Order: sequence, then structure tokens, then C-alpha cells
Amino acid sequence: MLFRREFKRNLRSLIIWSIIIAAIILLYLSIFPEMAKQQHSLDEMMSSMPEGMKKAFGMDRLTMGTALGFYGIEIHLMNTLLGSIFAAMLASNIVAKEQGEKTIEFLLAKPFTRQQIITEKWAAVFTNVLIFNIVIVLASIIGFQFTKGADVSYSTFFLLESAVVLMHLTFASVAFLISTIVKRTRTVVSSSLALVFIMYFFSIIAGVSDTFSFLKYVSPFKYAEAATIITENDFDPQYITIMAVVIVGCVLAGHWYYSRKDITV
Amino acid sequence: MTQPIVDIKQLTKTYGKSRGISNITFSIEEGEVFGFIGPNGAGKSTTIRTLLNFIFPTSGNATIFGKDIVKQAKAIRQQIGYLPSEIFYYDDMKVIDLLRYSASFHHYKNLGRIHELSERLDLDTTRKIEDLSFGNRKKVGIVQALLHEPKLLILDEPTGGLDPLMQNTFFELLKEERSKGTTIFFSSHILSEVQKMCDRVAIIKEGALIKVESVENLLKNNLKNVTLTASNPAAINLSALSGVIKQETAGTHLKLLYGGDMKKLVAAIADAPFNDILIEEPSLEEIFIHYYEKE
Repeated sequence: MLFRREFKRNLRSLIIWSIIIAAIILLYLSIFPEMAKQQHSLDEMMSSMPEGMKKAFGMDRLTMGTALGFYGIEIHLMNTLLGSIFAAMLASNIVAKEQGEKTIEFLLAKPFTRQQIITEKWAAVFTNVLIFNIVIVLASIIGFQFTKGADVSYSTFFLLESAVVLMHLTFASVAFLISTIVKRTRTVVSSSLALVFIMYFFSIIAGVSDTFSFLKYVSPFKYAEAATIITENDFDPQYITIMAVVIVGCVLAGHWYYSRKDITV
Repeated sequence: MTQPIVDIKQLTKTYGKSRGISNITFSIEEGEVFGFIGPNGAGKSTTIRTLLNFIFPTSGNATIFGKDIVKQAKAIRQQIGYLPSEIFYYDDMKVIDLLRYSASFHHYKNLGRIHELSERLDLDTTRKIEDLSFGNRKKVGIVQALLHEPKLLILDEPTGGLDPLMQNTFFELLKEERSKGTTIFFSSHILSEVQKMCDRVAIIKEGALIKVESVENLLKNNLKNVTLTASNPAAINLSALSGVIKQETAGTHLKLLYGGDMKKLVAAIADAPFNDILIEEPSLEEIFIHYYEKE
């Protein structure tokens, strides 16, 4: 019941975000053939870029000439950044909103445990993130058809995409935990968005500076870095473990806290 | 003796800035309409929220239907209808959606009752919640609470926002529920409506239970505010009259808090030089201050 309700309630936002990400992916991939034709001048332009910038965006290892390289430099950023914003906003609202708008009194008076509330709400977040990623995959596969001739390794692409799903869920779970704790919706949404941008910023710093390279263990953007996954065709198990631990940990902590807290409106 | 529907033992809740409640003990029998009165902020809502496990008791415990309010909250809520003092529902829903949603949690199938109740209360179920006035929201709350025919109704200041006509309809609905054997826990700060509906009342003040008394007794000790208007109120001598709890003069008004026999009052003032008389119910505050402090 609650799951269905939450799903319906967030459906409009899911559709809008899906259309945006699909449009971006299709648009970018449709101009790729043009770009590939001018690969020579493109490479020249890229090599003229400052070393730090190239490192920051993984352009030192990826080439715009291949479809996946182009995907990794241009589109992957959108997938990770927009997707994380979507996931974080959704998750930060889903629990706190009931308390902010005082509708939680209705829900709590129903024969429904707090654990059920949290489980169904997390299930709604999880499903939304999953659907959003299915849209990314489908739009990308359709988009790759524009790049006829270009050789796209789907196994590498799916590896990259699995990293993207995991990182979206990571942000969602952290935002979800905050959502179970904080009382006012506005604070949750802004802190979750701040978290996404700070993590993105960390990933850039980790790429540029050797002193701060330890930040790569902190930022999920670094876990799902296209340059590494595409060039090495490998998704570091270390990162998978970190993300899995964060996701499970945050959701369980949310459960634990929410079933014990006093809920006053 | 049968088991009480609600059994509260030494229930205490202290938190943050709010006063909370301390050592509340009372029980409600099956089929009873039980009033819970006290001024705003006395701890009525805190008690109710603790019973519904929105908040956790600091100490003490309580059972509803013989089940622990914390450990068996879900099973308890299956049989409870709760009407909060302020109604907040999902703005994006229509009234009918909200009521169906509510019924679905209780696995209640007789959805025709939605229309019966809505019709009685003159509530348009096709409207969106966000467009409803305060009074209409309250009606949605009432239907929501009564809909699944719960064994226990918990009503927190239920009449606020309802016009007198609707209040009558509402009390009729409650009487019908009561005749089916429903137990009603009725919180209010309005003495007269509690007197009208309830068998027994618990009086709470500043988080502590002052008294549990039958309405019959409460009526026996009934107090009235009597105001006499006279050009020279000092000339009115009521020293022979027993039952005057408080007497004060302000300008042309002589105010009495009277707890004695009404006939004796009328007889005593019959020959007094007054122009006008006003007899009204004292506020709950006045009762607390002048009656319970004396006891």
C-alpha cells in the first residue's frame, strides 16, 4: 500500500528526470559521428588543454575518438551527477516529508510498524533509482546505434553502468538515513545536495592532486570513474565493497533509528 | 471483572522543552465513553501520542485491549480509530482516495460506509484535500476515524472547527458507535461537551492526573459563575447563603462562583436590588483554581 502510494507520488518526478537524462544521452550520442570525423582536430584541441584539467576529467586516459571514450568523458558525467542529485533528492524527501507536512500522524495511527514504513519507503527509492538507470541503459543502447561503425564493448558499458547504479544507491542511502533523522524537509534536501556536490568536488581534487589522492576512497564519483573502468575494463571490488557497506549500513541505521525515535509533529 | 480496554499505569513521558506527563494512572472500561479534560498544554495529546506509540514512554506502561502499547502497537492500531486535534493529510489526494487508502490499511472492505458517513457529515468526497477548509478537513478526519468500525475511538479535541449543527451530527454518530459497544476516549478542554457525552472523566493539569470522576459526581458539584449587575453592588448581602466559593465586586458587577443549591441562590437574591443576572458555566481553569485547590 505504502509502496504503491510512494511510487505514484514520485512518478511524475521520475518521468521528468528520465526524459531529461534520455534526451541528453541521445543528443550527445547523435552528434558523436560528426565529432569522430573531426577526431584529428579534436585530439589536437584536447592535447592543448591543461594537464590538470585533462586528469580531472579522465581525458588523459580516454579518447573522444571512440564511442565509449566519448561516452565516458561527456555523458558519464551527466549520468553520475544528475542521477546522484535525483537519487539524493528523492531519498531525502521520502521520510522527512511525512514529518514536515505532519501527515506522519495518519500513517503512525495505522496498523503498520515503523519497520514496514521504512522498508516500503526504501523499496520505493530503490525502484525509482533502478528504473532511472534502466532508462539510462536503454537510451544509451539506442544512442549507440547512431555510432554505426564504432565498436562499443557492451560488457565494458554494463560494467560502467553497474558502477553508476551502485553510486546512485549510495547517495540515496545516505540521504535516506538523514531523512529518517532530520525533522525539516528543507534541511535534508539541501544537505543531501551539498553532499553530492562536495563528493563531486572531492573526486576532481583526487584526480588532480597527489596529496589529496586519498579522497578517491571518499567520493563515490571516483568509484564510478569512467576512465578507470573503461581503460582497465575492471570495476575495483574494493569500491564495490565500500558502496555495498555504505548502502546496507545506512538503510539498517535508518531502520534502527526510526523504530526508536519519538515522532512529534 | 473484565479486563479494561485501556489500562495506564504510572505512565511518564518527559522530553525536551515540553512538559510531558508524569505518573498517569487510570483505566477505561469496555463500552465506556471516557472524557479526558484539561487546559491546552496539560498533557492530553502527549498521553494520547504515547498510547499510540508515536512517542515512547520514559517510564511506566500501558496496555490497550490487554496488549502492550510499545511491543504490540501494530495489533492495537488495527482496532483503533484516531482523530487528531489538527488534521494533516496528503494534499495531492482526493478525499475519497484518502479514505480508501485509510481503509486499505485496516483491510476494511465495506467501502459503502465511506459514502454513508460522508453524507451524514455533508462532506464532498470528490474534492482535493488541499482545497478543503479547516472544518471540512476535520470531517475527513472523523470519517477516517470511524470508517473501519474500530473497537476503540481516540478523539483528540474532536469538535474544534465544526459548526454547532455538525457537532450535533458528530455526537449522534458517536452515540451510534457507542451503542455498537465501541469504547470512546474523548479528549477536550470544553467541559460542557464532555459532560454531554461522557460517563467518566479524567482531569489532567500540568502533566499530572488530578482526578478521575464520574460525570454524575462532577455535575453534583457543579459550579456556576453568577454575575449580578446593580447600581450599588455593595448593598447586596449574601452572607447567609452557603456555597459561595468566591465573591468579588468590580464596578457595577458582583461576581460569584457558586457551588450550592440553585434554588437557595434564587431565593437569596430575590429581594436583592439587582438589575440583571447572568448565570454561566465557569471555565475549566476556574474549577481547577477554586475547586480542586480546596480539596
